[in-house]
Amino acid sequence: MVEMKIEFNLNGKPAQVSAEPDKTLLYLLRDDLGLTGTKDGCGSGDCGACVVMLDGIPVNSCMVLAAQAAGSDVLTIEGMAKDGVLHPVQRTFGETWAFQCGFCTPGMLVSCYALLESNDNPTREEILTAIAGNFCRCTGYQAVVKAVEQAAAELRAANGGGND
Amino acid sequence: MSVAEFMTPASLDDALSIKKDRGAAARVIAGGTDLILRMRDKVLSPSLLIDLRRLSLDGIARTDEGLSLGAYVSLSQVLESADIEKYFPALPAACREFAGPPIRNRATLGGNIVNASPAADLVPPLIAYDANIVLSSTGGERVLPLVEFFVGPGQSVIEPSEILTEIRLPLMSTPSAAIFIKLGQRRSMAISQVNVTTRLTVGESGLPVEARIVLGSVAPLPMRAMSAEGILLGKELSDELLSEAAIKAREEVTPISDVRASESYRLQMTEVLVRRALLATRDELSGSATDG
Repeated sequence: MVEMKIEFNLNGKPAQVSAEPDKTLLYLLRDDLGLTGTKDGCGSGDCGACVVMLDGIPVNSCMVLAAQAAGSDVLTIEGMAKDGVLHPVQRTFGETWAFQCGFCTPGMLVSCYALLESNDNPTREEILTAIAGNFCRCTGYQAVVKAVEQAAAELRAANGGGND
Repeated sequence: MSVAEFMTPASLDDALSIKKDRGAAARVIAGGTDLILRMRDKVLSPSLLIDLRRLSLDGIARTDEGLSLGAYVSLSQVLESADIEKYFPALPAACREFAGPPIRNRATLGGNIVNASPAADLVPPLIAYDANIVLSSTGGERVLPLVEFFVGPGQSVIEPSEILTEIRLPLMSTPSAAIFIKLGQRRSMAISQVNVTTRLTVGESGLPVEARIVLGSVAPLPMRAMSAEGILLGKELSDELLSEAAIKAREEVTPISDVRASESYRLQMTEVLVRRALLATRDELSGSATDG
């Protein structure tokens, strides 16, 4: 098996790695790049613990080969804070206790972040749809919904609106 | 997994000549949401993967006949298309209940077809809309009705030298309505126990001139219940007639018992879901008639 050179943009910085052609993006991130925030839950796309942003959309990194991500922009939980300031939804997750064990949290946060990137006034139904691919066995999801609603309100206020 | 090579050809011609040279040892990878797992589990062991992403197969375009969908169109793209929602609403209805957003962002129409799973959610709606598919090779294209593509679970008529490149949906004559219903153990992230798509197109008389009842997860391949369809043609769509067609559909399916549902449950649910889908399709038709 010949290793391939893979270049892509990782959390805003260029990354260049060598990887086997069948290595998943999940293992590239965790084992080769040391970014262990992205979790390996089920490894089969069922749990969503491995969700990252690929070219602006959330995907299961266990079901993407590193080679498929060549030339793309990848954003992981490690790249979500800007200049040391948490994204609003990261903070409201803490404020509303939207996690307990924390294992699903990185993937859950990426899905919530993706929703808020395209919609800063989501309905409850839209939030539940956005996290339909993320399993949480601790919270029962209610606090997650609340965290997203709070973050959305903050984003609307910050965007100068505030009017629903 | 032990894939030796990964190639991202820049043109369809390049991809097709690679596929011709390497044949069955080469697998096409689109979204990869199914293929990667089957490689990990060693169900499939291709020596070469051919990535379709640079081939511009992700377009949705209007044609004289209807819509042309590239094989690399993702389920999320289907959900964003106003044309598909307007003319072929049963297809996005199936996409909405398919897994969850991260998978819908990657999984493609072509992948859902080529896998030839009897439980594929997108295939019954596509068959109900009389979809044709385009199989390309260095020798040219062949176009065939999607319903003729499947041979058995995981098996189809695709040749080792071919790549599925396009799905063609002909515009339905109107009035026409279609409904998709999926039964799974929950609304998201579940594989169908039974799925049903029905389509009715009525003529000037107001009576059906075309009927499609297409079922998934109840036979070795996605199937049309053609005897049940025949019951509906040219008849007044009474509750009794729709129930009769549902009973006939139940007689036509040949489900198995597996981890998701038993044979007897699937039989019962086939009747229930076909009846519900037909009732909803008829209601949709009368709704669109009053709109006009």
